[in-house]
Order: sequence, then structure tokens, then C-alpha cells
Amino acid sequence: MKKYYVMIGNYGSGKTELAMNFAMKAAQHGRTELLDLDMVNTYFRLAEHGKLVNMKEIRLVSPNYACSGIETLSLPAEVASAFDMDWDTVVFDVGGDAVGSTALGRYHEDFMALAPGELEVLNVVNIRRPLAGTVEKIIHLQEEMELHSRLKITGMINNTNLAQMTGPAELRDGYEMIKQVSEITGVPVAYTSGRKELLDIFLAEGHDPKYIGTPIAIDTYMHRDWDSWVKGLSL
Amino acid sequence: MALTLMKGSEAIAEAAIRAGARFFFGYPITPQTEIPEYMSARMPEVGGCFLQAESEVAAINMVYGAAGTGARVITSSSSPGVSLKQEGISYIAGAQLPCVILNVMRGGPGLGSIQASQGDYFQGVKGGGNGDYHLLTYAPASIQEAINIMTFAFDKAEQYRMPVLFLADGIIAQMMEPVEMPEMVDYKVDPEKKPWAATGWKPGDDPAKRAVINSLFINTEDLTVHNDHLQAIYAEARKNEQMWEEYKLEDAEYIITAFGTVSRIARSAVDELREMGIKAGLFRPITVWPFPYEHLKAAADREGVKALLDVEANEGQMLEDVKLAVNGAKHVDFFGHCGSLMPTTEEIKAKILEMKEGK
Repeated sequence: MKKYYVMIGNYGSGKTELAMNFAMKAAQHGRTELLDLDMVNTYFRLAEHGKLVNMKEIRLVSPNYACSGIETLSLPAEVASAFDMDWDTVVFDVGGDAVGSTALGRYHEDFMALAPGELEVLNVVNIRRPLAGTVEKIIHLQEEMELHSRLKITGMINNTNLAQMTGPAELRDGYEMIKQVSEITGVPVAYTSGRKELLDIFLAEGHDPKYIGTPIAIDTYMHRDWDSWVKGLSL
Repeated sequence: MALTLMKGSEAIAEAAIRAGARFFFGYPITPQTEIPEYMSARMPEVGGCFLQAESEVAAINMVYGAAGTGARVITSSSSPGVSLKQEGISYIAGAQLPCVILNVMRGGPGLGSIQASQGDYFQGVKGGGNGDYHLLTYAPASIQEAINIMTFAFDKAEQYRMPVLFLADGIIAQMMEPVEMPEMVDYKVDPEKKPWAATGWKPGDDPAKRAVINSLFINTEDLTVHNDHLQAIYAEARKNEQMWEEYKLEDAEYIITAFGTVSRIARSAVDELREMGIKAGLFRPITVWPFPYEHLKAAADREGVKALLDVEANEGQMLEDVKLAVNGAKHVDFFGHCGSLMPTTEEIKAKILEMKEGK
């Protein structure tokens, strides 16, 4: 079945990294398109990883003049190809918070025309981020994003992490909090994602599969220059 | 305490609020727009005031006004925006008002680029606005360090009654690192401790207690007295406030000097050079005003030090202070890029090897 994955969520929760992972996995099985719809922050662009994406034969759609000094933060006409062309998998990487998810509203009719089960709208949650650190904050953000995107969130992704300092406690604490959100809102936990070694530890702890969803071991594609400088971290 | 994954902009904004900042005036500009964005959501939560001014010029004059009441006030901008603020900064320095100003540096001159740079060292440290004034200027190298400095920045600004400048580059604001946040300080303006603050005066009150916020001294004798007073304060700050970090300097033959993010790249270069058998070390000023001249001089004068290499993401601005400190005693070389290109560990290593071979 044709699949559309839309990654929305708190600013800095790991949407781009997950979008990249979903696209790379999908590309092993079929024709894949990856769309960068981030109209908020110009600093992190999938286009920076164009070579990697092209290598896997993923079609990447980026904003006009991405990664240039004249980047205009406009939605490219090519986004229409996501709905008009014959892909097996389409992945949308969207800007952070309610502001970022506004960009999806423009495609409301296209999304509504999809067959039942084709669309997954995923709220990427990292409870170690300051504006997603409580049940109330996560629910508030979820409601705001649904309003702005004109889409219903179909599932949450527990992507709790502390970047290079992530330990097993992150996914565990994320599980506990997202479980509560799920119980209150009825939105299921669709996936739990993390680096393989940490995910394995988490899965071995025997938590309720209902609030884990499908586990996804992720690779880190979105390396930043500064990852190599953090050695001198003065914590 | 639990760690939180924070973006530099958010962390610096939150740290300022926890240090008692209750007024933010600013105008958006990349790469620091997340600071006003965060402030706009957070200030109302703590009973503070966020105001997006019509321009940077307006914002800094709002800082001037609010700081005059003794409140803890902060503004942020990036290079071209900070250029616009210079007149107001000079007025604030002249009127001896405490406040915190954040410059998240981007490429220049002019509009330059939106990527990180260190091209405003001269502007921050050597003036910017008119007159004989200085800003207590910190150059944080990590998000945690920026947070830590913010915990005492307002105290220092009030102690010396001078503005504090954070000279950070775009990377500090844009990068994400796990950090530990300090507790919220319960700060209230105490008119007893701030007799200079304009907190309300009506006819009939003691005229001697009337606070006047002013940078105009039309009589030359008065202006001289005022300037002598400012210079005495700067001398005191020079004596007490220098901060720096030394890394593997004990037996170093080559001392790399760098500030901010570039110092972290330089630090990696030091480690890699040591793995190659080259004794390198790092001297990192944390305050770039006051610059730790004597401490760098002492490091450079150590036996066995062959030369210094200053590395910056600019044309060599701090280089002048490094040379002043070393005062001709040792050879001082430079490596850097103008615009927004960061020097890399590979480039720094290559430059040190070149110096070693006497090229």
C-alpha cells in the first residue's frame, strides 16, 4: 500500500532525523519521495545531505534556494508531485511546533483525498526538550499542531534523547510520560525510536507493547559540525 | 538535576529569566530570532514584559529606559542589529546603567551572511559607540558556559553599573547540547541598594534623593569628573573580572589562542597535535574585556614556549590583544577565515606544522 508519513512535533524533537530514517528504510523497498517543508528554521536542511539522499535514489524536494543566502522560505510547486506522482512512500519533514505545521494546511485537500490507512501523521516527542517536558505541554502542543496543520495526529513517536549524551533512561522516561498522554488523548504510541543499542536495552525492560508501538532503530544522518567539537563540553 | 536538551538561544533566554530578567526588548534577526521567540512565550509566564520593538534602535532605547528603573533588562540581536544599537549602548554606558546585551555574531560586513562568525570582536571590545567606555564582555564557548555566565552577569552589571555584553557566535545560539539549568532567582528591585534607580519621586520628597538618568554633561569639568569616575570603575573591573581557561599549557611549545566556539575546535586540534607528538596547548580568554593580558603574558613567557598561534573566525581581531599581551617576547602567528567559514582542526594542525618547520 502507498504510504504517506508526516513528521510534526516540538521544535528540535528530531523530526528531520526520523524523516531521513523513514525515507532511507522505505527506499530499500520502493520509490520514495522526501519533502522538506520546514518554513521556520533555515539552519538545518535535508538538502545539506543531498548526496546521501541521491545515492539511495530518494527524490528530495527542498524549498527554493535552500542553504543559500537568499533562501526565501516559500513552498516549492514540486510539493504537488507528492500527491500526483506514483510513489510507494512519501515522507514529509515539517517545521517545529504549531508554527511549523501551518505549512501543511495548504495541502489539506490533497491529504483528505488519500485512501484510509495511507496517511500517518506522527507527533515526534522528545520529553527532554523544555517545551515538551510535561504531559500538559505535550497535549497542548498536540492540539495546537492539529489546529494549524488541519490534520489529525494518528500516532506519537517516542524519540526522547539527549543527543550525544542519550542513555537508557531517556526512552524509559519518555515511555512513562507519553503513555500518560496516550491514555488521556487516545492518540496511540505508533513508534519508539533510538539508537539500536539503547533501543535493545529499553525493549528488554518488559514495558507494555501498547505504549511502545513499532520499535525503530535509527541511524544518525544529521551530523553537525559541532558534534566533533563537543569533546570540550564544559558541563 | 536532570539534563535538558536545549538549543543555545532557548537556554540563554531561560537562564536570563532565571537570573531575574523581566524585560526583554528586541527585534528579530537570524541567527538569534529564537531568543525573542522564546522570550515572547516565557516572559508573560513569569510576569515579565516582552516587547518586539519597531527597530533595534528603539529596542536599545527601551533597554535604556527600563534599566533606569533598576529592573533587570536584556536585549539580543545579531551583528548588523547590534551595529544599530551602538548609539544606545554608548548612552547606557554613559548613564551607568546595568543591563545585558547579547550579540549572536554572524558574517559581515553589512548584511553579510546568516552563518556564524566572530567578526564583531573589535566592535564589542574596542568601542562600537562613541566615547571612552567599555562593556564587560564575555565570550562563552558552550551553551552551559553561557548559562553559567548568565547566573552572575546581572550581578556584575549592577556591581559596576555597566552593561554586560555576550559576544557569542551563531553556533552557540543554534547548536543543541544537554544542559543543566540553575534554579529561578527570586529577584526584586531594592531601592536601598539601587539609589541611582528612578523609581518614583514627587515634589516635596528629598531633592537629594531624586534619581536622574543622564549621559549629558555639558560642562567640560563635569564631564571630566564623570569620565574619571568611569575609568576608575573600569580599572576595578580590569583588576577583578578577568576570566580565562588554560588547557594543556604546562609543557606546551605552541600556544593556540582562541575564543568562543573556535576555541573548541582549537581544543580538538591541541589533542590531535599531542597525539602526533607535538606539545600544543590552548589559552582561551572567557572575558575578552577585560582581556587577561598578564595571564597570557605569563603563559607565553614560560620556558619552552616557541610560538603562539591565534585562531579566529575573522581577519585577526583578538590577534591585536594577543600581540599586546605577548609584547614581542614570542612570535605570534595567525590563522582564520573572514565571513562565516569556521577554521577546522585540520587547518589548525597544518598551520602549527608549518610553523614548526619554520615556514
